[in-house]
Amino acid sequence: MKDKQFLIVGHLLLAPILIICWELGANLGWINPVFYGQPSGILKFLIKHSNSGALWTDLGWTLAGTFLAFIIGSTAALITGLIFVQFPRVEKLAEPYFNALNVMPRLALAPLFILWFGLGLTSKVAVGLSLSFFIVLSSTVAGMRGVSQDHLTLCKTLGAKPTTIFFKVTLPGAIPIIFSGLRLGLIYSLLGVVGTEIVASQHGIGQTITSLATSFNANGVMALVFVLAFLGVVIVRLMTSIEIYLSRWK
Amino acid sequence: MTFVFPIDGATKNKVVVRDYSLSFDGKNTILDKINFEVKDGEFISLVGPSGCGKTTLLNLLAGIVPLIGDGDIKINGEDPEIGSTDVAYMLARDSLFPWRTALGNAGFGLEARGAVKEAYQSKAIKMLSEVGLKDFANAYPKELSHGMRQRVALARTFSLDAQLLLMDEPFGALDAQTKLQLEDLLLSLCHQFKHTVVFVTHDLAEAVALSDRVLVMSSRPGKILADISIDLPRPRSIRELQKSQKFHELYSVLWTYLEEGWVRHEG
Repeated sequence: MKDKQFLIVGHLLLAPILIICWELGANLGWINPVFYGQPSGILKFLIKHSNSGALWTDLGWTLAGTFLAFIIGSTAALITGLIFVQFPRVEKLAEPYFNALNVMPRLALAPLFILWFGLGLTSKVAVGLSLSFFIVLSSTVAGMRGVSQDHLTLCKTLGAKPTTIFFKVTLPGAIPIIFSGLRLGLIYSLLGVVGTEIVASQHGIGQTITSLATSFNANGVMALVFVLAFLGVVIVRLMTSIEIYLSRWK
Repeated sequence: MTFVFPIDGATKNKVVVRDYSLSFDGKNTILDKINFEVKDGEFISLVGPSGCGKTTLLNLLAGIVPLIGDGDIKINGEDPEIGSTDVAYMLARDSLFPWRTALGNAGFGLEARGAVKEAYQSKAIKMLSEVGLKDFANAYPKELSHGMRQRVALARTFSLDAQLLLMDEPFGALDAQTKLQLEDLLLSLCHQFKHTVVFVTHDLAEAVALSDRVLVMSSRPGKILADISIDLPRPRSIRELQKSQKFHELYSVLWTYLEEGWVRHEG
């Protein structure tokens, strides 16, 4: 309890001190607000941007892209993972290609995807899912391969059916590992989507960041970067609490 | 090669092993002409040094190891079959599912064999109270001690209502005190449910305390050196047995045979 109180008091002191120093520094001319922005300007931009509805439109496009990328990427990864676990030869065959794709910086594909799929939602979803797919795939395979041999022997001596073994033994045992892959997959979907928006897009937070940066609006860029950071924290918190619930037996 | 099984009116043979030999690659002999039978309701133990093939023998009875050797192994007159409902197999480790509660684990055996939920749940509750864990039904394995986990595994095994129990050193990983408690529990469960048991162990005291007969095996190739009747009265109590003269005599007889196996092996 004491630790918790210390943390709360610490945050209540630390965050305002940092913000006040930044604000004062900008006013006194130690920090150039044209390049680094300043808290009051960031807040003003956020209020204006939010009141005009532009922030919410951007957020909507970015989040829609992220969730689409995450859902398509992880579903495909779960299915592929199942196939790999069931047919190890298929995995052996696909491994070099998948490895090559996985080590490639996917953001480098963004210009190509934009060329193929246009400036709409599709291109950013493609980049996002190309990141989340491999993360979820490797955790799915690792999770399901990790099934205990004792558990399998037990099931065999009980004469359990393959579907029973899968749904009652392999899958529940793999869920914590699969889920930590899903958490990372969601974060990387966001990364891929915003990255693609920065390269070129019609809508989205990344696109707005680029246009603000090219017009020297440091307050605007900072404001949106904070929005993204906040979004990331919320996603991680949410996924972690689901993960803790699903792994309560651990 | 056919073998005519003796049909004995009074006592049925549950398990019959006749001239069974097993070797891998034609030269590595694991089992050498094993012969024994287990009568209905009998508790027999297989003892021997590690590597003597006692677990392999048990796995042959369970159908985990296919019948690739020479000779015959029959359970109720049939070839052993993995997953048979007549047989319950218990491993050395508790092999509980960490994501299932004690109740979920105790019921898993029947659940995996396709029982309906009410049936395996009520059976699991009954067996959990038999092993003294009624109040821990909703606990996850991580919250239970080693001994308690093995009690849950016993509940899972006994809830199967299989006639033949095959147990591979089920108490091998427990500390001495807990082991004695679980041996007592197993004695009372077997007394109550009249199972036929084939029990693998390397602990001679455990073998004497639990069994009607003890088969002593020698190290590679695995042979049966002796088949010793343990004519201690039942019901037994582990604590009472410690004071019994007869118990210690049988223990030293077994020890002599085991040593002989060692000498032969080394010589």
